[in-house]
Amino acid sequence: MESLADTLWDVVICGTGLQQSLLALALSRSDKKVLHIDPNDFYGDAEAAFSLQEVESWVEKVQTGKEGLFRAASVEKLEGDTGLSFPRAYSLALAPQLIHARSTLLSQLVSSRAYRQVEFLAVGSFSIFKPSSDPSQSPTLVRIPSTREDVFSTTAISAKAKRGLMKFLKFVLDYESTPQAEAWQPHTDAPLTEFLLKEFKMDKELQTYIVTLTLSLDGGINTRDGLAVIHRHLSSMGLYGPGFAALYPKWGGLSEIAQVSCRAGAVGGAVYMLGTGVKAMNDQEDPIVLELTSGDTIKTRKVVRANESATDESGINRLVAVVSSPLKSLFQSTVEGAPTPAVAVVAFPAGSLSTAAGEASQSPVYLSVHSSDTGECPANQSVLYFTTISKPASQDLLQEALDSFLAAVAGDTVPQCLYQLQYKQLRSSAQSQASGSIFDFAPPRPALAFDDSTLQSVHDAWKMVLGDDAIEEEYLTFADREGAMDDDEVYD
Amino acid sequence: MADQGGSQHGIARTSRVRTEAQRQQDLERIQKYRDLESQLRKLVSASDYARDTFDLTTKLLKLNPEYYTVWNVRRRTLISGLFSRRSDGSSCWRGCSSSSRCDTTTTCSAASLSSSLTRTPPSQASPTTGRSGTTADEGVAPDEEAQKKDLEIIKSELYFTIPLLLESPKCYWIWSYRLWILDQSILLLPVEIAKKIWQEELGLASKMLTKDRRNFHAWGYRRHVVSQLESKELGGESLVESEFAYTDRMIRVDLSNFSAWHSRSTLIPRLLDERGAGERERRNFLDAELNQIREALNVGPEDQSLWYYHQFLVDNLVSPVGRPTIVPSLTVEERVTYLATEITEIKDLLEDYEDVKLIYEALLEYTLGLCQLEKRKPEEDERQDLIAWVKKLRELDPMRMGRWIDLEKGYGLTELLPGGSG
Repeated sequence: MESLADTLWDVVICGTGLQQSLLALALSRSDKKVLHIDPNDFYGDAEAAFSLQEVESWVEKVQTGKEGLFRAASVEKLEGDTGLSFPRAYSLALAPQLIHARSTLLSQLVSSRAYRQVEFLAVGSFSIFKPSSDPSQSPTLVRIPSTREDVFSTTAISAKAKRGLMKFLKFVLDYESTPQAEAWQPHTDAPLTEFLLKEFKMDKELQTYIVTLTLSLDGGINTRDGLAVIHRHLSSMGLYGPGFAALYPKWGGLSEIAQVSCRAGAVGGAVYMLGTGVKAMNDQEDPIVLELTSGDTIKTRKVVRANESATDESGINRLVAVVSSPLKSLFQSTVEGAPTPAVAVVAFPAGSLSTAAGEASQSPVYLSVHSSDTGECPANQSVLYFTTISKPASQDLLQEALDSFLAAVAGDTVPQCLYQLQYKQLRSSAQSQASGSIFDFAPPRPALAFDDSTLQSVHDAWKMVLGDDAIEEEYLTFADREGAMDDDEVYD
Repeated sequence: MADQGGSQHGIARTSRVRTEAQRQQDLERIQKYRDLESQLRKLVSASDYARDTFDLTTKLLKLNPEYYTVWNVRRRTLISGLFSRRSDGSSCWRGCSSSSRCDTTTTCSAASLSSSLTRTPPSQASPTTGRSGTTADEGVAPDEEAQKKDLEIIKSELYFTIPLLLESPKCYWIWSYRLWILDQSILLLPVEIAKKIWQEELGLASKMLTKDRRNFHAWGYRRHVVSQLESKELGGESLVESEFAYTDRMIRVDLSNFSAWHSRSTLIPRLLDERGAGERERRNFLDAELNQIREALNVGPEDQSLWYYHQFLVDNLVSPVGRPTIVPSLTVEERVTYLATEITEIKDLLEDYEDVKLIYEALLEYTLGLCQLEKRKPEEDERQDLIAWVKKLRELDPMRMGRWIDLEKGYGLTELLPGGSG
């Protein structure tokens, strides 16, 4: 077998984050020589999922790291015998993004056959947290209606308001057609809330429902983007079965997609090296010469990397909490024939939480609740992922959200938080770019739902790597490998 | 080759494009199929209905579930030996005599199946029959042993049809066979066990309806399964409450479901009877149904199925003669009040839905109906409304211009020219 140094690689891919992994999947049927490395000793990079032990190593690294996308990471454990299970019983996701049914990512996973390796779970209801007006009453969670049948069933909205909401839902489903486009295009950059008020006479409450459906982190999403996101949500509803609009990969969200993609890459002949990074690169030569941290010096025609640096200090704060309750009430499927959801989304709109100082929250907080069906925790526990846009008091706000949520779902006892991970993830406005034979992926943008625009750079990278050998019809479109699905069994 | 069972609602058929290699593969498969087929024919012409024949039918049916003759052969193999003999010795399959080949076609829809399959009087296969000669050494009575075997066969046959149904959900022959097997469970097994099997069947019907909630055959099938579960042979418990609740759930999946609303309407008379509903309860029920359908119309006024159900309720009020009614004791005044309320409520919809023709049609019909109830002509304000609504309908539904013109003439609804008297 040729050694690493003897091989003239067609491409070296650095990092096993989602984008790089999808690239490996895309290249898995080509006859290119692919070397895929990652300085971490785990797959997934910024989209990885961790056991509790891995969480703690990662937190240490973040604390001592000078660059990279993550900051201010810490772990807190409840003292004593709390019922926290052994470390490997958990798989906490750094990118617990839900994937809309209409997402191009799903159709690419299908056409590339990689979907067979992933178990998808249903994402259930979106609710809004309603603080109680009476201190003796606990706060409640109110479901957001997003289908005609939801609107029909809800008792929280007046008949007239329902008609307004229906008009809007119908409008959005067809928002790109001429008459509708003419109505919203003048408001393109204006806040969505303004458009809802002007054109649909929606009151504050309905506006909140709609804006929550956009999962917008700053609540100030503009009309064009807002309509696009809501359209995606509504048109995804029922696509793969009744009662849900989005899916979530079992075992850790996007991390699972990255792993499956790398596996496909390996089956296709790519060589994988974890715990290996690039020490030095000489891109003045052709082929490019790379010195790896493993001590190997290799030659490659192309290099694909991830841009790990954030351009600004804005980003999101996250709180991941393991709680001691299965929270069954959140995971009821309300529609006949619908699968039991494994993920539920709860929004805390701006103003619904008060800080310790007694001030109303200025930004929304989103919570993604994961049942043990996601494989991320043992049975009888749940994992809560809180996200909010980074502001000075964000950490406190997330704690407040956690306490308020537990109060809202408390039955006879308030569930306990057994384990907490907190961190900040920075954003970058950098774009993916190709320069000569080097492609740099932009840092992933933290979001609650997967954004298909991420896929464009994967496609660009693929084109750069294959050059003239790129056949567009074959991009992530593969036949099953032999033996994968045998329809001929019956004939034997 | 197995048929893909036609298109399901909204899902198009795709056709395969074949390369030369695939064509060769297909030719090989065709040959294998024909070989299996000729093997079977040989056995059948020799009247051999033993295990090998059964296994051959398995292979053939997996390839082509539409081959109804092979289903009949399979039935014969079960009757001829694999099923235990029934204690009264008669044939289980009434469709053919035991000596002739059963390859006549039976036209079936799930609904007509219930009438075409004449069921033999059920032998309750009680544990005491046929026990003559049981020695104390036999731990299990021969009948129980036979029943256990029969249950195994029934279960495995039901299991066999499932993947075939998933591939070809509208293939009559598979459903027909499944129903035959289910009927065998009534004939061969104790009531409790047969009942469980039929209850599971209800679960299957629900799954099929989840897959395609407008599958007309599946609704008919469901009604058949329900009527069997309600029959004397299986214990005779009424399922009307749970079936009513089922329509509730199906409506919440999709308001636009003719079959669910229709089912609901057919269940109401029995439901109220079985509840022993008195005057008060019946009125409350009617009010609740009217409120609910109005809520539905509020979010889906363009949906014909909802208007059909509303019409059903209004007919209940307005023309109670000759049909089971929800509240038979309503006076004419009360009916008038109800109808007038409905008209007012529907008018509200026009506030936000100006171009939905079904609303205007309903208003037209109900207003004229109100006049009929009160045995009078339309008042002036009503007349103005009717004129405006017909005008709107001419705009929205020009295809039925003839109908609107007739209506105008018939009720004197033509607008007077400006400057004219009145």
